[in-house]
Amino acid sequence: MIEVSHLRKTFGKVIAVDDVSFRAENGQITGLLGPNGAGKTTTLRVLYTIMKPDSGAATVDGYDVLRSPLEVQRRMGVLPDAHGLYPRLTARENIRYYGRLHGMGGAALEDKIDYLVKILEMDDSSDRRTEGFSSGQTMKVAIARALVHDPANVLLDEPTNGLDVMSTRSMRTFIRRLRDEGKCVLFSSHIMQEVSALCDHIVVINRGLVAASGSAESLKRETGQENLEDAFVAAIGSEEGLQR
Amino acid sequence: MKRLWVIFSKEVTDNLRDKRSITSALITPLITPLFLVALIIVMGQTLFADPEEQVVRLPVRGAENAPGLITFLKQNNVQIVDAPADPESAARTGDVDLVLVIEDGYGKAFEAGEPAPVQLIADSSRQSAIRSISYIEQLLRQYANTIAVLRLQARGVNPQVISPLSVANVDVATPQSQALIFLNMMPFLMLMVIFTGAMYVIIDTTAGERERGSLEPLLINPATRAEFALGKLLASLPFGIVTLIMTMATYYLAFNVFPLEEFVNIPMRLDLGALVAIFLLSLPIVLLASALQLLVASFTRSFKEAQTYLGFLPLVAGFPSAFLAFLPVKASTGMMLIPTFGQAILINQMMRGEPVLATNLWISSAATLVLAVVVIGLSIWLYRREQILFGR
Repeated sequence: MIEVSHLRKTFGKVIAVDDVSFRAENGQITGLLGPNGAGKTTTLRVLYTIMKPDSGAATVDGYDVLRSPLEVQRRMGVLPDAHGLYPRLTARENIRYYGRLHGMGGAALEDKIDYLVKILEMDDSSDRRTEGFSSGQTMKVAIARALVHDPANVLLDEPTNGLDVMSTRSMRTFIRRLRDEGKCVLFSSHIMQEVSALCDHIVVINRGLVAASGSAESLKRETGQENLEDAFVAAIGSEEGLQR
Repeated sequence: MKRLWVIFSKEVTDNLRDKRSITSALITPLITPLFLVALIIVMGQTLFADPEEQVVRLPVRGAENAPGLITFLKQNNVQIVDAPADPESAARTGDVDLVLVIEDGYGKAFEAGEPAPVQLIADSSRQSAIRSISYIEQLLRQYANTIAVLRLQARGVNPQVISPLSVANVDVATPQSQALIFLNMMPFLMLMVIFTGAMYVIIDTTAGERERGSLEPLLINPATRAEFALGKLLASLPFGIVTLIMTMATYYLAFNVFPLEEFVNIPMRLDLGALVAIFLLSLPIVLLASALQLLVASFTRSFKEAQTYLGFLPLVAGFPSAFLAFLPVKASTGMMLIPTFGQAILINQMMRGEPVLATNLWISSAATLVLAVVVIGLSIWLYRREQILFGR
């Protein structure tokens, strides 16, 4: 479970995150929806301990991101926006490196890698060096290495960016599978259709503030709109978030 | 500790598969010894060749005008050949080193006891001609002096009146110490090697990692930033050390197996003991070089940018020892405190066969290690900042 309260993060004069609070429950898919530059990535970066907030707090399974970053990292699998692989290592070696950094090893690690290779359907490419992998193949390896230590919380920053239709579909299936396993899935997107298709809980972020939150149904109700697109526009007060 | 090993072994495996890292670790060692040997052979032949033992070819025009002078020159190992048609342009283009022109009025003036006109046509800016020019000038002065003495004696004057000074040159340089002019460059060349050996590994694991977009996901793994920085630094060390060993081996082959003496007439030896001592003395510099490179690469955004900045590092670090090649100084404890400079002085002493103070070895190594630790500390601090994701 992930809890964020009154998070604020600035870079010089730029306020990236002004005041963001939300909860992401276990066994649910929570979506951070907002236009580019709304503060989604910065919020996630604070959560996955790469950035320190100016004020506010964030906890993962009760562990504070500032006070116990290593505990937070152990409980979290992250697919950041930048998810480059090591091109001279094979797909399996890339995954194994992260597993070993999490203290895994031996047969347990190899079994886990086999399992991930199978459910992500990457058998044919798993022993090849990742140089020249397509963005879909790269994404699978990046997800496998993020989940190798079987984390209870999964953070995905724009996971379908740059993927073709088929890869996007299998990504969605995979995200639902994670939810069904009882994990807390938090993902960010600027694509409204994607969020509405996947999420149990939506947090709309705009200009560093939470503009609205709730299920798709409750968002429609709150804004008095017929469909989610109009609800989204009403929530953020402009149409800029719809541009793709 | 275990995570440090995980990071270290991954970076070593990864870089062993990198052509750039392997090439720079394996090819660099060959370059500087070959450069030094080539320099010794080329420069040694022109500078150290003794003209008195060699036949100097001298194109002469009007040789028939001065049979006495020609005989004198021939007696002094000068081979008289016909002058080219246009001596001045031949000297300018370098076809000949110099041309002696004995003018038609020579015989008449000589008999009359007046200064007899000869011309020495040469290009004094041509490095390779300097030896021949000064040798022929010296012979001409000798001849003129001999004639002057004979003339004074014929007139009943003591010839000593024209020698108010008696100048004796005592050159204490031994052939070995002349050869050391070249060997003095070795500390500088060693620094170049040390700073190149592991450079690509450092760039690949820092700026390369950032450029590939693999740094951000890596840093989310549960290891401390100190472990990441140290793991990457340690991974570069085997590459640096292997480069150094290969370099020492190449020096050994170049100076002890390759028949260098045949080219320069000077005994040149670098014994195994001295090479091992130089290797051990250089080890702290390997650590310092990697630490400095890690620090600088932390600021760079791309492989190319890192390559540019790290390319300057050996020049900056090698500046003092480059001076040392041309202006040798006496060792003092204060100099030992300057990392890389102290080692350069000590390496020179070892090669000259001078006694080296053990305390100086320790002070120089300790000073280098202390600086390396400080630089590593700075790098770890940089890795703890969130700006590490972006560079700068």
